[in-house]
Amino acid sequence: MEWLNPYHLQVASFVLINAILGVSIYVTLSTGQLSLGNAGFMSIGAYTAALLSTQHQVPIPVGILAGSLLAGGAGILVGIPSLRLSGVYLAIATLGFGEVLRAVLINWESLTGGAVGVAAIPQMGRVILAWARDRGFSPESLGLQGNQFISLTVFLILLLGTILTVAFFLRLSRSRVGRAYAAIRLDESAASAAGIPITYYKVLAFSQGALLSGFAGALFAHSTSFVSPGDFTYHRAVEILVFAVFGGSLHIFGPVFGAAFLTVVPEALRAISDYRYILYGILLVLMMVFRPQGVIDPPLLRRFRRSGKKTPA
Amino acid sequence: MSGLLSLRNIGKSFGGLSALSGISFDVQPGEIVGVIGPNGAGKTTLFNVVTAVFPPTAGEVVFDGERISGLPSHTITKRGITRTFQNIRLFSTMTVEENVMVGRHCRTGAGVWRGVLRTRGQRREEQGIRGKTRELLDLVGLSGTDREMAAGSLPYGHQRRLEIARALAAEPRLLLLDEPVAGMNDAETQEVFRLIQRVQSLGVTILLIEHDMSLVMKACDRLVVFNFGRKIAEGTPTEIRDDPQVIEAYLGAAEGDADA
Repeated sequence: MEWLNPYHLQVASFVLINAILGVSIYVTLSTGQLSLGNAGFMSIGAYTAALLSTQHQVPIPVGILAGSLLAGGAGILVGIPSLRLSGVYLAIATLGFGEVLRAVLINWESLTGGAVGVAAIPQMGRVILAWARDRGFSPESLGLQGNQFISLTVFLILLLGTILTVAFFLRLSRSRVGRAYAAIRLDESAASAAGIPITYYKVLAFSQGALLSGFAGALFAHSTSFVSPGDFTYHRAVEILVFAVFGGSLHIFGPVFGAAFLTVVPEALRAISDYRYILYGILLVLMMVFRPQGVIDPPLLRRFRRSGKKTPA
Repeated sequence: MSGLLSLRNIGKSFGGLSALSGISFDVQPGEIVGVIGPNGAGKTTLFNVVTAVFPPTAGEVVFDGERISGLPSHTITKRGITRTFQNIRLFSTMTVEENVMVGRHCRTGAGVWRGVLRTRGQRREEQGIRGKTRELLDLVGLSGTDREMAAGSLPYGHQRRLEIARALAAEPRLLLLDEPVAGMNDAETQEVFRLIQRVQSLGVTILLIEHDMSLVMKACDRLVVFNFGRKIAEGTPTEIRDDPQVIEAYLGAAEGDADA
């Protein structure tokens, strides 16, 4: 079981959290709204979960649920006034929201611990291991060391969360609501003339994106056991955007791929990880020039599906 | 007595520019009413006021006995007025089928949870949407096209008909057609003429903006003529053809020629 390296598992866990964040920006983008507030919503989820479990001993799943719902609720509040804005103005307003929120996190020291952040958040894997040991289970019986078991548990929980998230929004995109989202993105006035209540669906998509960011944030808090305002800066917002721009925002697999690729590559190329943001910049420029729709787009997926059908025959 | 649609003293100005003023007329159930007039006369502006793309600055729109001016666009669609656009506005990267399916939105109800859980009711509803979509594509003469094709890659004439199918998907009682045969040849115009008649026979009332006079004269029960944002005449096609004011609007006045 040597190959089950906690470091690799941790990278894989970050891939999954980032994939959920990628889906969160995709959902909002699927109605044509560009939100850069997802780092902010992520911090709401993360801090809610962290504070509930450290200060009020609330069980982890309840804290994650509360963090997600609170972020989703904040999404509705931010989404409604933001409806008057579109395109780059919406992006600026939501970016501003994220920065204001971060300033609140830094300055409201009595609640958030200020710039230091919240430490000693119960880590999902450790809590489960402790629970299992109480019942006479030892990871060694599976041939795993304690820290391997912890990392593996976190990874599996995140994998489940990611699969559920992707399945949820994949199904949604093929339903009546998904068609309404796409119609709004393609032509708002035609969608409205076709009987779609634009305001309702835009706020819905915005708050779904916020809820998912909060979910990712809460999972992040319980995976790393430490959060601080520095985790939710402007860089995080841009990073989430890059997942969608690089991977593609026309299909849910686009930002998932983008998140996976852009999380693994800098880790694999450790030596240049200091230059990550330069790399992002170059990558963005190249994407704009050569493939503005992102790596993955629906025609590409159709081609895959077709060749997949041909091969066995 | 008021009709299915009553326009009462409609005015619309953009800043200082008056695009419509004092427009009043009724559309009776089952009729095909043509709206004609030179370019810039305010015909499309009227459609935009009726479908709440923007509100009128004066007057009110009454549909089926209820005031609808002030209601949002999608509510008006649900009440039973749908439209097509002068410059076709399909969801071009969506498939042919999906475009019509979007049109069913206000007659169906599955929300987020039912869509994600694919409940029995939701699956039945989706089947119903697909069934209706097939029916409408047959009606507009697109049964032969690939339903999975992107709407934007359809030939121009087919796009016009697909837009009509999308508008019909909401089961309108009143259909507003904005230049449905613009840019079409005679054969295609004939097909659209027959389509308009088929739609009328289904009990849909039609308000039609069109420049093609041969189509307007054949298809319409009554005509309303606009010039410079005002209604200058109203009557049967024959009455309108012989109306001196209409002739003046289209061809210019006799003394105008002398002055120039």
